[in-house]
Amino acid sequence: MTPQPSPFFDPGAQSVAGSLGVLQLKRDHLIPAILSASSDSDYAEGHVENTRFGSYPHSTLLNQPWGTQVLASVVDTGSRSSKSKKRKRDEGDEGENGGDAPTAKAGQSKSEVVKAERSRSEVVKAATASSGFAHLVPPTPETWTLCLPHRTQVVYTPDYSYILQRLRVRPGDHIIEAGAGSGSFTHASVRAVFNGYPWESNADEETTAKKRESKREGHVYSYEYHAPRAEQLQKEIASHGLDSLVTVTNRDVYGDGFCLDSEDEPNADVIFLDLPAPWQALKHLTRSPPSPAVLNAVSDASADASDTPQPTSKPFRSPLNPKSTTRICTFSPCIEQVTKTVSALRSLGWLEIGMSEIQAKRLEVRRERVGLQEEGLRGANPTAATVQEAVQRLRDVEDRAKAFHGLQKVKQDQVMRRAEAKKRGEKTAAATSETNGKSGAAKAKLDALPPSKHDRLERAKRDLERRALFKEGRLVHRTEPEIKTHTSYLVFAILPREWSREDEDKARKKWG
Amino acid sequence: MHSYVRPNTHIALRLPSGQLKIVEIAPNTNINLGKYGTFSSNQILGRPYYLTFELLDKDDGKSSPELRVVPASELHAEALGSDYAPPAEATDESVPAEGATGFDIVGEDGEVIMRNNRLTVDDPSRQTLSMEEIEELKKAGAGSGKDIIARIMASHMGIEEKTQFSLAKYTLRKSRKYMKRFTVLPLDIGMLTEYVTEKEAYKIMELREETLGLICSWANVHCASSSRILTAEDGVSQIGGGRWLVVDDTGGLVTAAMAEKMGILYPPTEEEMEGSEEAEEAATEAAPQEATLTTNVPTETTETVESNGTQDVMVADTEAGAASTTQNPPAETSEPRPSTRKPRQHIPQMSAQANTLTVLHPNNQPNISHLKYFGFDTGNPVPTHPLYTHLKSVSWLQLLHPEEDPSYIEPETLTDDALANLKSSKRGNYYKKRRRWEKTKRVVDETRAGGFDGLVIATGMETKTILKEVIPLVRGGGKIVVYSPNAEPLVELCDYYSKDRRAAYIAREFGPQQNGTSKKMKTEPEDDEDDEGTNSTENGDDDDDFPVNPTLLLAPSVQTARARHWQVLPQRTHPFMTSRGGAEGYLFTATRVLPVEGKVEARGHGRGKKRKVGPDAAVPS
Repeated sequence: MTPQPSPFFDPGAQSVAGSLGVLQLKRDHLIPAILSASSDSDYAEGHVENTRFGSYPHSTLLNQPWGTQVLASVVDTGSRSSKSKKRKRDEGDEGENGGDAPTAKAGQSKSEVVKAERSRSEVVKAATASSGFAHLVPPTPETWTLCLPHRTQVVYTPDYSYILQRLRVRPGDHIIEAGAGSGSFTHASVRAVFNGYPWESNADEETTAKKRESKREGHVYSYEYHAPRAEQLQKEIASHGLDSLVTVTNRDVYGDGFCLDSEDEPNADVIFLDLPAPWQALKHLTRSPPSPAVLNAVSDASADASDTPQPTSKPFRSPLNPKSTTRICTFSPCIEQVTKTVSALRSLGWLEIGMSEIQAKRLEVRRERVGLQEEGLRGANPTAATVQEAVQRLRDVEDRAKAFHGLQKVKQDQVMRRAEAKKRGEKTAAATSETNGKSGAAKAKLDALPPSKHDRLERAKRDLERRALFKEGRLVHRTEPEIKTHTSYLVFAILPREWSREDEDKARKKWG
Repeated sequence: MHSYVRPNTHIALRLPSGQLKIVEIAPNTNINLGKYGTFSSNQILGRPYYLTFELLDKDDGKSSPELRVVPASELHAEALGSDYAPPAEATDESVPAEGATGFDIVGEDGEVIMRNNRLTVDDPSRQTLSMEEIEELKKAGAGSGKDIIARIMASHMGIEEKTQFSLAKYTLRKSRKYMKRFTVLPLDIGMLTEYVTEKEAYKIMELREETLGLICSWANVHCASSSRILTAEDGVSQIGGGRWLVVDDTGGLVTAAMAEKMGILYPPTEEEMEGSEEAEEAATEAAPQEATLTTNVPTETTETVESNGTQDVMVADTEAGAASTTQNPPAETSEPRPSTRKPRQHIPQMSAQANTLTVLHPNNQPNISHLKYFGFDTGNPVPTHPLYTHLKSVSWLQLLHPEEDPSYIEPETLTDDALANLKSSKRGNYYKKRRRWEKTKRVVDETRAGGFDGLVIATGMETKTILKEVIPLVRGGGKIVVYSPNAEPLVELCDYYSKDRRAAYIAREFGPQQNGTSKKMKTEPEDDEDDEGTNSTENGDDDDDFPVNPTLLLAPSVQTARARHWQVLPQRTHPFMTSRGGAEGYLFTATRVLPVEGKVEARGHGRGKKRKVGPDAAVPS
């Protein structure tokens, strides 16, 4: 039986059971899930991913073309633990899970009925909820970086993409990664070195016997000091179908170096050190045993590691590929670490030493709407957009004020007149008719006036329905509110192939 | 890859001034470095990359100067100033040891008092050597330039007054000017980018190394030589298989960067893994013979292989394999294969089915001239180069209106008899035409069938028009990456995929239907955004409002990254004082998705949370 290809490299046309899929809810909100068709779950619908944006049973995610928009389903999220309490708690749950499943009650009770009737072995077909959706996307190192379980600081895409680019990591390379951490760099680097699975070349032995000689499969050698983390990473790697491409080793590389039991491992071309003290690991990354003077110089740089008597019992074996140029990158947040690392690199004869930091940011794109028509609306600036608009608004206010004061005056006059008439004892009938006529005129006058604030708000709301907001306003962009101003300093260096006098003589003979 | 200098490849030489010089290195030729001198190519062939060589005095009777490898410790000592010199390496004896004493111009008397610049006199007359005298020294042709520098330093009156740091700087500056040295570097993507950036950055749209890295990461570019060949639900088109679409106005740099990640950029090198030196030797001897053989291939073959999707992935692989095995002659030449003279099976160009790049281009031929640095000449591609089968090109005309393209129209078929009566040259022509047509038809048809894993665009063209045509060709879950030197085009593009616009689009497409026949989803306006622009269709041109289908992309976002480079010297660590300005370089990224037919309600906080406007809320919220 040949193993399934990893969904990271070849996800296939659609999602399959037992393989990793990613549910994308928002741009930075993704949920990884090993899709499962089995029913051994507390839910009637089998395995379910519950999110703020609805519940997604795996049955709705399986065998879907990648990229499909998946609608949320009605899943009873409140009553899975104890069936007896289920009905009693039902009402209360509805309220509690308001944000989680503000779905039609009818749908929920229906699913319960179905649940009650189902036989334990089969997965209930989920009913579609009235709202909520997500997209099912295949995993990539980028999506994985956004949704992986954080164990340590994560190496993010702008950093690892630059590191892999600058280290010239290519398919077929062997890469050492020390300080595996959360595994984001592991996934990115295995993509960079991948050029086939070892089991492929074993499969059809006779045709590829010769090819295998010449083809070298890319491999990631990952070292992690922290045993539970190493174990966790190993599990993840296996569930992602990458275990034939990544070797996770739980080891203290400062003391024990990088060589594995097998003779030709790691045979590294590229090294990435995400360690607190990379200079302490560097002494193990040489082509020939470093001289005591150099070792002293290196360990001087690290006062705490001064007592490192070289274990001379074992014959020296270099973890580096003798036939390639070795490239290294160390990833340290502090400048003091950089100085120590660089001076150790210099002592050990590395070349082209350089240090960089990556400053990355994302842009927020929005439409900025300004103008009096925005009064009372959300997400817009309701001040006057132009001088003309401002002037017009001032005029309007002035006009209204004038009319208002005029009315006040008329009213006052009326009152005065009435009072006078009363004093004089005139008939009141005429007066009332007069006022009636007058107030009517005043009403008419008011209508002709610019609208009141209340009216304006009403109108803005009404207009909103006819406006195409998506193309209104000015298109602007700005840096997103949260930026990572510093991730780490990246130290790069290169160790050329060893070049001895014999090599030089040979080359001279060959090329004259 | 790139561990030592091979003949007939492009290499980069870094001169003391920091400039890069690219040369195609052929055996038995002289390489001229201008004022730094001339040397023979044979002196660096076969030597490892990243070594720094020093041109030494001409010995009498020798035409070209000797080269000396400068050990790492010496290089570092210069950069650091002598106080911080690392201990000499244990591996130092590997160098033709002649000047083991090294570079000791910075004569330190051992005193450790800290000097400062209070007494520094800023006056050019403190250098007592006149320009003429220096010119004289240079003419005297004294070897590596060390002695010139030593003389200059010796005749500087204020040299003792200099602080240790300024002395180091001074020495470095002088050595940049007078040292006769160069460093041999492999010409890879990073080096080519650096080289072009310095000369004519606009030609590569001012791409930087970090941007290239980002592009390839977000496009999920990787080697897919072992991907399965799968047919989509329609039973005809291929889906996935590690195929990427590229629109490249950078002269092929983006294509090359992607090809590097896919493992198809560099021609297979014979010695790659073979252990013994003899194998290498034999291989290089056999190489020329191989070259002559392959150039004949297109004309001598009479059989064309139809690759109509009947082949599986192994074919694509074995083709590449076949190419590489012929390059593995030590074992191969004695193989029972009848004879290498037998006409080899014709490997049709652009025939690989997995792990391919398809370049879409506005002219008849794609402009991917930068690939020449990697041994791939588009005018005359070598069949052994992986790009020969894995790089495909389709013009916009072929993509959109293939029937208008003459090379897509089938040339007449001749009967065997008629063919037999033709002159051999005519017959050759006939086959050539047929093969060209077959190639065009195959590539155009498979491109139009779609199912690509990703799309990478770096172009000055109006991107929305490209996306409109090409997005449907990308498979669900495929990645879209658009590069632009400036933010504005991408901001605009992002706006075409904004949440509000998408809502309006959905309302326009599915609104009436939903009101008429009650679909399974009920409308429950929980947000005022549902009302927004529902009637937009009445008052606007469709194409202006919706130049692209905004529902096809998920999570569109714009980002940028810049590497800031630092100087790291003991007690002198800081970012470099100056660097290159110019375009910042932005990336638009998104994922192709397959939207559900009909109107879909988002679920979320509605009014509860502060409402976001813009693309970061473009995904359901």
